[in-house]
Amino acid sequence: MKRSALILFILFVPSLVLAASSDLINAAKKEGNVVVYSITSRIANAAKSFEAKYGITVSAHNLKDFELIEKVTSEGANKVYGADFIIAQDSGRVFGEIIKPGYAYSYVPPDMKNIIPKMYQDPLYFSFITKAFIYNSETYTYPTITNVWELTEKKWEKKFWFKDPLKEGVNANFLTMVTSPEVSKQLEAAYERHFGKKITLTTPNAGYEWIKGIINNQLVMFTSDTKMANSLGVKGQNIDAVALGTYSKLRYREKKNLALMPIMGMEPFAGFFYPSFLLIRDNAKNPNAAKLFIEYLLTEEGFEPWSGSLGTYSSNPNIKPYPGDNTLDVWSRILVLESPEFIYQNRTDVEEFWNSMIY
Amino acid sequence: MLIAHRTKSFLRKPENVILLCLLIILTYLILLPLFSIVGDTFKVHSSELMRIKGAETGDFTSYHWKSIFIGKYSKNIFYKPLVNTVLVALATCFIAIFLGGVFAWLVTRTDIQFKKTISSLLILPYIMPSWTLAMAWLNFFKNKHVGAPGLFTAFTGIQTPDWFAYGFFPITIVLGLHYAPFAFILIGGILRNMDANLEEAAQILKAGRWRIIRKITIPIVLPAMLSTFLLVFSSAMSAFAVPAFLGSPVRFQVLTTQLFRTLNGMSPGYGFLIALVMIVIGALILTGNQMLVGKRKSFATVTGKSSNISLVNLKKARIPLSIILLVLLLLITIVPLITFAVQSFMVSSGNLAAENFTALFWVGEGRPDVLSGEPGILRNKYIYIGLWNSIRLSILVSLLAGTVGLLVGYAVVKRRGTLAANTLDRLSFFPYLLPSMAFGAIYLSMFAVRRGFIPSLYGTFAILVLIGTVKYLPFASRAGINAIFQLGREIEEAAMIFGVSWWKRMVKIIVPIQKASVLSGFLLPFISSMRELSLYILLVTPSTKILTTMLFQYNEKGWDQYANAIILFIVIVVISLNLIVNKVTGASIDKGIGG
Repeated sequence: MKRSALILFILFVPSLVLAASSDLINAAKKEGNVVVYSITSRIANAAKSFEAKYGITVSAHNLKDFELIEKVTSEGANKVYGADFIIAQDSGRVFGEIIKPGYAYSYVPPDMKNIIPKMYQDPLYFSFITKAFIYNSETYTYPTITNVWELTEKKWEKKFWFKDPLKEGVNANFLTMVTSPEVSKQLEAAYERHFGKKITLTTPNAGYEWIKGIINNQLVMFTSDTKMANSLGVKGQNIDAVALGTYSKLRYREKKNLALMPIMGMEPFAGFFYPSFLLIRDNAKNPNAAKLFIEYLLTEEGFEPWSGSLGTYSSNPNIKPYPGDNTLDVWSRILVLESPEFIYQNRTDVEEFWNSMIY
Repeated sequence: MLIAHRTKSFLRKPENVILLCLLIILTYLILLPLFSIVGDTFKVHSSELMRIKGAETGDFTSYHWKSIFIGKYSKNIFYKPLVNTVLVALATCFIAIFLGGVFAWLVTRTDIQFKKTISSLLILPYIMPSWTLAMAWLNFFKNKHVGAPGLFTAFTGIQTPDWFAYGFFPITIVLGLHYAPFAFILIGGILRNMDANLEEAAQILKAGRWRIIRKITIPIVLPAMLSTFLLVFSSAMSAFAVPAFLGSPVRFQVLTTQLFRTLNGMSPGYGFLIALVMIVIGALILTGNQMLVGKRKSFATVTGKSSNISLVNLKKARIPLSIILLVLLLLITIVPLITFAVQSFMVSSGNLAAENFTALFWVGEGRPDVLSGEPGILRNKYIYIGLWNSIRLSILVSLLAGTVGLLVGYAVVKRRGTLAANTLDRLSFFPYLLPSMAFGAIYLSMFAVRRGFIPSLYGTFAILVLIGTVKYLPFASRAGINAIFQLGREIEEAAMIFGVSWWKRMVKIIVPIQKASVLSGFLLPFISSMRELSLYILLVTPSTKILTTMLFQYNEKGWDQYANAIILFIVIVVISLNLIVNKVTGASIDKGIGG
C-alpha cells in the first residue's frame, strides 16, 4: 500500500531544480570543514565531489554500524565532539540510543520537505539498503533453490553463508524479524509447501525453528559482505554455496570478474532491507556545513556514488535506481523490512537464542 | 621535630622521592582501575536497556554475574570460550618453548651456520603484527568452506580439511611461531650467560651429549623455561586478532573474541566481567612468576665466564640442517611479506592473469565499482593520518615508558630489599599480565568520565599514550632494573662525593655507561606499540585511528590489498628503526643472542 503511494508520488511530482539557499552556503563555507561518521564507505566519493563543489573540507569516517553507535553514544554521554553528522543504520538502536537521549536530531532541508515522503522525514531517511540471497551464476545457470527451508536440509550443509549477525546489527535485526508473527506465519506456510506436512515446533515459532535449522546445518559466518561476495562469485572453482548478503556487491561483477546473481524467487522471502538515517549531532561544530552536505546527499548529484550502481535506493523518490536494477517497490514485496518497535522488544531474546546455539 | 627531621632527610634522597611518586601514580593508573571495572560489572549500561527491561542506565544489577556464571547460556557465552582459551594458551606455550628452545640451543651450542641471519630472522615473527601469519595461513590454506581456495589448493588440487585450515590448530601454530622468538631470547640469554664450566666438567667426565643436555643444560634453563611459559601463556591468553581471523569460519571462540563482541555490541556488562576473569588469571600468573623468580635469585649471580664452550659438531648434518632451518624461517617471515606485496597489486587473489594486476590500490582515485570508493593507498589521506598517529603514539609511549622504567629501575635497585621497592617492582610489572583488551576495557570505563581533576579522556589521543605507557612499562622497568643493577654502587658514590647533582649523575654517568640496556627499554615499547591492536582497539575514535586498527578494519571488510599494504608499512617502520638503533648503539631486542 505504502509503496504504491510512493510510485504515485514519483509519477506526479515534477522534478524540481534544487538549490540550497545562499545563506546556508555562505554559513557553511565560513565553517570550512565538516566531519561525518558513516556506515557506507562510498561516502568518500560523495565527500570528494562535495569538496570540489563547495570548497569545504570533509573528513569522512567509515565505521561499522555497532561501532558507530558505540562511538556516538560514548561521545554523546561525555560531551565529546567527534562528528558533525552521521549516517547510521540499525533502526532500533538508532532510535533508542541516539535519538531518544538527544545525541542527534533530524534536519530536513526546506527544498526536500515536499519531495521526500513524510514517513521518511522523522527521522530523516537517507537510503534503503537491500540484502538478498545470492548464488554463483557460473556454477548454476539458474537458482537451484527456491525455498529457504531447503537451507536446513543435508544438501546445503556448510553451504549457506551469512555475515555474523553479532558483527552487524541489521543482520541481527533480520533474524529478529524472522521470528515476528507475520514472517513466522509465512515461514510456516512455506514449510508446508516444501515438506508437504505441518511444522512441529521445538521452539516458540517457525522463525526460531528456521534459525535453529540453519545453525544446525553448519551455517558459515563471514566477517564482511564484501569478502562473502568475493568468495562466492569466483569463476572456475565450482562454488556451490548460497549467500545472504548485500545486494549492491553485485556491482563488483565486471571489474572483479565475479559470477553473482540474486535469487529473486526465494520463498517466502528473498532477503531483507533496511533504512539508513541522516542525523546531525547535538554538539556539531559545523552544523551549517553538515546541513549543506545532507542536502547535497539527497540530490541526484550527491547520491551518484550510490545510484551509479545497483542495490542502494535514495529516500528521494526523484532519484531513479541504476538502469536495469529493480525498483525499491519490487524489492519491498519480496524482502523483509525491519520494524524498529518489534526489534527493540525482541532482539535480545533472539540474540540470546542465537548465542545459545552458535558456539 | 624528630619526625619532621626524618621526613626531611628521607626526602633529600632522590630515590625516595621517585619511589614515593611512582607508587602513588602507578596505584592510580593500575590498581584503581581494577575497582572501577568491578563496579562496571554491577551496572546497567545504555546499550543494555533493551536487555534488562525496566532498568535505567547506571542502576545496580546482578544480571551480568548471573547470566555469565549460572545463566541458561553461560556455557556458550563463557565456559566454552574459557576452556578454548586455556587450551590455546597451553598449546601455544608448548610450541613456542619447543621451537624457541631448539633454536636457542642450536645457535648457542652448536656449529650451525648462518647464526646471525637465523637470529635476526627469528625475531621477525615477534616484530610483525601477530596476525600477519594468520593472514598468510588463510591465503595459503583456506578451503572451499569460505569460497575461493587458497594457494595450496590452487596448486595441488588437495582440499585442506577444516581442522587444518581454521580453528584450534592454526591458531596455536601461528601464535606459537609468534611467541617462539620470546622463548628464543629468554632461553638463549640464559644459555649464553650460564657458566660453561658445568658442561665442560661433564664433558671431561665423558658424559654423552644428550646426557649433558638432559642432566645439566635443561635443569639450568628450566627456570627460564618456566618463566617463558608463564609469560607466553598470559600473552597467548590475551591474543585477539589471530583467533578472530582463524577462528571465525568454524565459530571457534576464545575469551578475547567474546570480550570484543560483548563490549562493542549490546552487552558491555558481560564484557567487563569477562575482562575481570582474565585479570584474575593474569594476577595468579604473576604470583606464580614471582615465586619462581624468587627461587631463581639464589643462583643467578653471574660469575666470571669461562672460556667458550666447545660447540657441538653437527658433522654431516651441519649443512643440510642449516639450510633447512634457513628455508623454514624464510617461509614464515619473508615469503608472507612478499605475497602481501604482490597481492596488493591484484584485483582478485589467486588469479595470475596479467589483466588482474593493477596499481589501482596504490595510486587509484577510488572507484565505487572496485572497492567502495576508497582512494589508493598513496593518495589516501586517512592512511597518512593513521601512519602519523601510529608513529607519534609509539614515539611518545616509548619516551614516557622508557623514562619511567629507568626511574623505576633506579628507585628499586637503590632501595632494594625494602617493602616499598618490592611493591613498586611488582606494580610496574603487573600491566604485563593484564590482557591487553581487558586493560583497554578498564581504561574505557575508568577514563570515559571526568574523575576529579582529570577530564574525560575518551576520544583523546592522550588516553592512547597513557595506556600504551602503562602497558609497556614492564619492558622498560625490567630493562631499567637490569641496567642499574649491573652498575656498581661505587661509580655513583664517587660522583656523589664530588657533589655532582642527581640529574647530572643520571644523564652524564649512568645512562651513557648503560646505554645499550637503557635503549632497549625504549625500543621494546616502541615496537610493541607500533604493532599493537587489541590494547587500542576499544579506545580509538575515528580521529585518533592508528594503522593497526585500520588494518583490522580493512581485513574484516575483505579489502585485502589495503590491509596488505599497511602490514608492509608497519613492518618497514619497525625493522628500519630496529636496524638503525642497532647500528648506532648496539642495542636491539635480540641483544645477547646470535653468533
